Amino acid sequence: MVDVLERNNVHVRGAGNRAVVFAHGFGCDQNMWRFVAPEFEKDHMTVVFDHVGAGGSDLKAYDKSKYSTLSGYADDVVEIGRELGLKDAVFVGHSVSSMIGVLAAAKAPGMFGKLVLVGPSARYIDDDAEGYVGGFSAAQIEELLQFLESNHMGWSAQMAPAIMGNPDRPELAAELTNSFCRTDPEIAKAFARVTFTSDNRKDLAGVDVPVLVLQCSEDIIASQEVGEFVNRNLPNSRMIVLEATGHCPNLSAPQEVIGAMRTFV
Amino acid sequence: MGASGLDFQDMIENAPCGYLSLGANGRIEHANRTLLGWTGNASDQMVGKRFSDFLNMAGRIYYETHIAPLLRMQGFFEEFAIDMLTVKGERLQMIANANERRDPKGRLLGVRLALIKATDRRRYEQELLSARETAVALEQATQEVLRTEHENSELREQFIAVLGHDLRNPLASISAGARILGRTVQSEKEHQVIAMLQTTVQRMASMIDNVLDFARGRLGGGIALERESGKPLEPVLTQVVDELRLSTPGRTIDVDFAIDRPVNCDRTRIGQLLSNLLGNALTHGKSDKPVTVHASTRDGFFELWVANAGEPIAPASIERLFEPFFRGTVRASRQGLGLGLYIASQIAKAHGGGLAVSSTSEETRFTFTMPQIDDAPVSPSAS
Repeated sequence: MVDVLERNNVHVRGAGNRAVVFAHGFGCDQNMWRFVAPEFEKDHMTVVFDHVGAGGSDLKAYDKSKYSTLSGYADDVVEIGRELGLKDAVFVGHSVSSMIGVLAAAKAPGMFGKLVLVGPSARYIDDDAEGYVGGFSAAQIEELLQFLESNHMGWSAQMAPAIMGNPDRPELAAELTNSFCRTDPEIAKAFARVTFTSDNRKDLAGVDVPVLVLQCSEDIIASQEVGEFVNRNLPNSRMIVLEATGHCPNLSAPQEVIGAMRTFV
Repeated sequence: MGASGLDFQDMIENAPCGYLSLGANGRIEHANRTLLGWTGNASDQMVGKRFSDFLNMAGRIYYETHIAPLLRMQGFFEEFAIDMLTVKGERLQMIANANERRDPKGRLLGVRLALIKATDRRRYEQELLSARETAVALEQATQEVLRTEHENSELREQFIAVLGHDLRNPLASISAGARILGRTVQSEKEHQVIAMLQTTVQRMASMIDNVLDFARGRLGGGIALERESGKPLEPVLTQVVDELRLSTPGRTIDVDFAIDRPVNCDRTRIGQLLSNLLGNALTHGKSDKPVTVHASTRDGFFELWVANAGEPIAPASIERLFEPFFRGTVRASRQGLGLGLYIASQIAKAHGGGLAVSSTSEETRFTFTMPQIDDAPVSPSAS
């Protein structure tokens, strides 16, 4: 029997009838939400977790074939939701987790009543045949996968057991430099591949709950054009363009993100 | 103070590392002369732009998804590999460190970034990575070859085992037929033919035994022993000698047995060992000289040796005598499979003993010795 909450390093906090689930994207872990999630604790139940392969998740649960599609990650979200008995919850997905949320909402009707998508992209690679601009060429993504090998974020096979083997001493992991974004390079590469080669354009039409798209200014990962495509193709969506620049407003401009979310949640 | 102010400026501008300061909005406010020199930019080409504008696409994605968040979460980052681009579009491989400037209230003022060229280091890392990939691929290929080889050899040995079993049955029929004929034929010539038949059957039977033992040994079972120290060994040895005497008329086999203690051994196996050694001696020994068989128990050892006269064995051959399928120089009609001595040595080993050879122009002698474990019941007080 898999302990889903342990596998995904799930932390439930706050008080309230409605749950808000925060999902991190490619790169780091649930710490991406450290400035935003606490703000919702006073009137909501908040749920943060790590995707398998990231942060404090159970690396033994990493299954190459399951996690070769975003659907595998969405299955985990649904399992967490079932374990916690979530109904009509708010799903907040950053970056690639936006599309993971879109897939999860379709897999478990009733579990999520609203979606907040921060910096979403339905497809990162340009599709010339359909005149779709994703922002990247296939060759650039290939270059990224090669480049990921150059940065281990201090990851080494020797260090992993020390971090992973002490779940009862989380401060041990926290003390280590770069630990928020440390990932087994093989898993980082696989997650980058599934993220940047995904194509979820056809899944957008199936979302029957209200969606809020939060679009950053000057985001090279998910440009305004890409965000507008998502917003336009979702049946029930509105978009707020943030003043925050870059791809991680949840870290660089948490107050602006919180304010925008409050208009919707 | 003026001079030291200049020193500070020089320290920053001409430092042996690239130096960038970014404003709170992430825009470049200052780039030192070293970095401008490396990238080929003029100051106003960099100021006002974002750091990621000077990275290749992979670097930009990495910066946005890893470095920028980490900088915000822990206030610094260290030892990032990052590729900058020169004005000509060439890659500059760098290692970067950075930290944040914040005011006393914790508000972000800016970011300081130090960049060190790391072309050689990165190349070395790339070589390590590709060496690892090569090693992994090689390891997989080797495993694959090993697996195939293992399957092949297993199949081969199974084949030998099946073949050995299938050969025994027709041989038994020939032997039984010859025995029946022997009871009815009259002429001397017919008796000789039948004796020859039986000799051949016996040679072949012993070859099949050896083949089966070899296959079994290789299949992992080894040679199993059924020790029976209570039963006399000498009659078994005598029977082996008698059989070979019958099948080699005209040859002399001298026997010298002095077994005065029970020998804790597998009698059938020791018989097989003697049969192999004696058959060998009769094949290779000088045909007009006797072959001697000696067996004795003394000094806690059981010793069995077979000696013959004839050409000595070449030193090069001696080293390989006990390897399977090794065959000395002998005329083709007398050649066996080259398993006899190998099996004999395996039987010796199974008994905790050994098989040795000495070969001179006078005599070639194979000697089997094994420790004679006295298994007479030990009284409890003796310990």
